[in-house]
Amino acid sequence: MVSQTLRRVDDTTLIREAQRGNRVAFEELVRQYDRAVLRLALHLTGSEQDAQDIYQEAFLKAYRNVGNFRFECSFYTWIYRIVTNLCLDHLRKRNVRKEDAGVATDAEGNEYSVIEQTADARPGADPERDLMRRELGNRIGRALERLTPRERMVFELKHYHGLKLRTIGEVLSTTEETAKNTLFRATQKLRGSLADMR
Amino acid sequence: MNCDWVKQNITLYIYDELADDARHEMEQHAERCGDCAAEMESARGFRVQMSAALPAAEPTPNLLAASRMRLSEALESAEPVHRWRWALDIAGWLQQVRFAPALAAVLLMVGFAGGVMASYKLLNKPAEVAQVSKSAPAPTQASIAGITSIIPDPGSRKVEIQYDTVQPEKVEGTIDDPRVQQLLLFAARSNYNAGVRMDSVDLLAQRPEDRQVRDALIFALRYDNNPGVRLKALDGLGPYVDNDTSVRNAVLEALLNDSNPGVRSEAIVLLKSVKADAAVRQALQQLSRQDRSKFIRSESQRVLNTLPEID
Repeated sequence: MVSQTLRRVDDTTLIREAQRGNRVAFEELVRQYDRAVLRLALHLTGSEQDAQDIYQEAFLKAYRNVGNFRFECSFYTWIYRIVTNLCLDHLRKRNVRKEDAGVATDAEGNEYSVIEQTADARPGADPERDLMRRELGNRIGRALERLTPRERMVFELKHYHGLKLRTIGEVLSTTEETAKNTLFRATQKLRGSLADMR
Repeated sequence: MNCDWVKQNITLYIYDELADDARHEMEQHAERCGDCAAEMESARGFRVQMSAALPAAEPTPNLLAASRMRLSEALESAEPVHRWRWALDIAGWLQQVRFAPALAAVLLMVGFAGGVMASYKLLNKPAEVAQVSKSAPAPTQASIAGITSIIPDPGSRKVEIQYDTVQPEKVEGTIDDPRVQQLLLFAARSNYNAGVRMDSVDLLAQRPEDRQVRDALIFALRYDNNPGVRLKALDGLGPYVDNDTSVRNAVLEALLNDSNPGVRSEAIVLLKSVKADAAVRQALQQLSRQDRSKFIRSESQRVLNTLPEID
């Protein structure tokens, strides 16, 4: 829609306004990014509640700190940086909590924590295929759990959200080269895990 | 290009991160090498598998709406910490107070007796303030009615102080005077009284070549709830529709979204000079079909008719 394109172009005006304390301008900025932020948080955490919490925290943090934004990077990168850091915190806490959470053991004797799936739970026309897909979803979920938080984050941003490695590097405050190597490790581990589980 | 290189960089390939020439070479290599072709297939399959079984679904409209509402509520009670932030350290604070006429002057414009917070960032260095004294009143200590809060910033020497002053003041000068300009910008955004906002926008519209002024006019056009103020802002921005994209976009937006038909028809007039622009043309087409006002529909159509057909 024409007016949506117009809004995107005028980020700078909105940001300056938000920095002057204009809440309306800030909320307008939020609208431009919040769907993507929510999608990221939702897919990473697998929980609507957790996603909402991350969403809330991210934008409140942005509101409190928008005065520090100096246009050195794009606002897009800045927002993604805030959300990604919160997601990393979430992942690290979850790793720590593995002992408390429901831990199960798979056929090889490896432990994994029970994670909530956002895979489509609607009954389809083909129940066997649905079952297989859910099974695969679980296996993939478990494989993802085996990545370190950073590996998981890089993979998530690249594979599920299509960010370029260069952007991922900026978002994680590192180099594109490091992001690339992290992606390599992540995909290697995942392909290895999936091959093992067959 | 050898098989080792391919194996190492296959990940970049499946995620479209290879340079065009490297991608081409890899594909060429795979046509000749069965192993690498198989590896490529396997990698592609991995990517498809990861997406299919655990798709990144769009959040439901309910979830999005609920999140937005919750955020809105929280923002209402959140302190916009940077609203009147002066990065003060103690010595600097004393300097600022010495040049209080700037602060006192911020309260200007008639009728500000209610204790308004100095919600304005000091832009000029103290040295500049001294030079302006030809039109400003002689420096005096502003009467501070009360300090409402003092918030030290943990981990640094900075502190944020919120205070009220109750002192009606007056400044006289031309609109080229930076003092006057700052006050006009302030009034255009924040004043309760639409009449005062309109006056300030009217004056600012005489100097839209200044970036800050232009931003303030764009803001008034977008967000002011008084149509008279919006019209004045539009007037000021008119001459810049041709060469400033942000102005053009703001006017285009007003054309599509403003609730007041007077503003919308004025926007059409201003956009006539750039009617060949694709975005403008699209907007006019939309309006000619869907605008609530018959006048706007026919006006948009009329302007479109004067355009040569371009395919």
